[in-house]
Amino acid sequence: MTAGDKHDGHLVEVRDTHDLAVHDSHDVAVHEVLDGPFTTRQLLRLDDALSKADRATGFTFSVYVGDISEPIREGAEKLHARLAHPANSVLLAVAPEQRQLEIVTGSQARKRLSDRDCKLAALSMAAAFGGGDLAGGIVSGLAQLTGLAGKPS
Amino acid sequence: MSTPDLPDLLIYAGIPLAVIAIVFAWVYAAGGRNAKRYRPGRPYEFKPVWFLARPEADGPDGHAALDAAARAELVAAGDASPVVDVTGGASDRW
Repeated sequence: MTAGDKHDGHLVEVRDTHDLAVHDSHDVAVHEVLDGPFTTRQLLRLDDALSKADRATGFTFSVYVGDISEPIREGAEKLHARLAHPANSVLLAVAPEQRQLEIVTGSQARKRLSDRDCKLAALSMAAAFGGGDLAGGIVSGLAQLTGLAGKPS
Repeated sequence: MSTPDLPDLLIYAGIPLAVIAIVFAWVYAAGGRNAKRYRPGRPYEFKPVWFLARPEADGPDGHAALDAAARAELVAAGDASPVVDVTGGASDRW
C-alpha cells in the first residue's frame, strides 16, 4: 500500500486562506500535499495522530499549516469557524512564514481543554518548530492535547 | 628519484579522489532531497494544507448551509449563544 492510498480522503488541500478549496479528486490533493514540507512518513504519523486524537477525545482535531491572514488570531478563529462543528473542534493553526502558532478551541472543547492546557501544548510545539521540526511539533502537540482533554464523559 | 608509474598514481591519487567525489555527490544528493523541509527564518513557499481525520464529514464549509439553518432556528428560539461561538486556546511564537 502506498502513502497515497493511505491518505486518500484524509487530507484537504487548501489553495488560499480566503478561498478554501476542498478537492473532489483526492489524488490531486495527495499529490500536492506530498509536494509540501512533509515527508511521506511524517504525513502518515500526522494522519495517525489526528485519528487517534479524534477517537480518544470525541473532538474534531484539525491542523492547518500555511499562511494565515493578519491579524493571525482572528484569521485562525475564522478558519476554525469554517469547520463543520466549530464548538467541538480544536484547530492547530501553524503559520511557518509568520512564525506563529494558534490553538483555537470551540466552546464545548474549551470545557475540557482549558486555555492553560493549550498554552502548555503550544509551548512544546513552538520549541519543536524553532528547531525546524514541523511534523514532530504537531504530532507531540496533538498527543499532549489528547492527553489533557481526556475521554468524553 | 624515478617518476611514479600509472598503477601507483591510480592507487595513491585516483582512489582518494574517487572517495572525495563520492562523498561530494552523496552530500549534494541529500541536500537536494531535504530542500523541501521547513527551516526557521527561511521563506516558506508551500501551499497551505489543512489536515483532518475525516474531511468529508468535518471539513471546512462542508456543513455551512446546514449550520446556518440550525443557527437561524436557534436565534428564532431566543438562544443567541451559537451565533458567535466563544473560542479559547493559546498562541505562541518561535
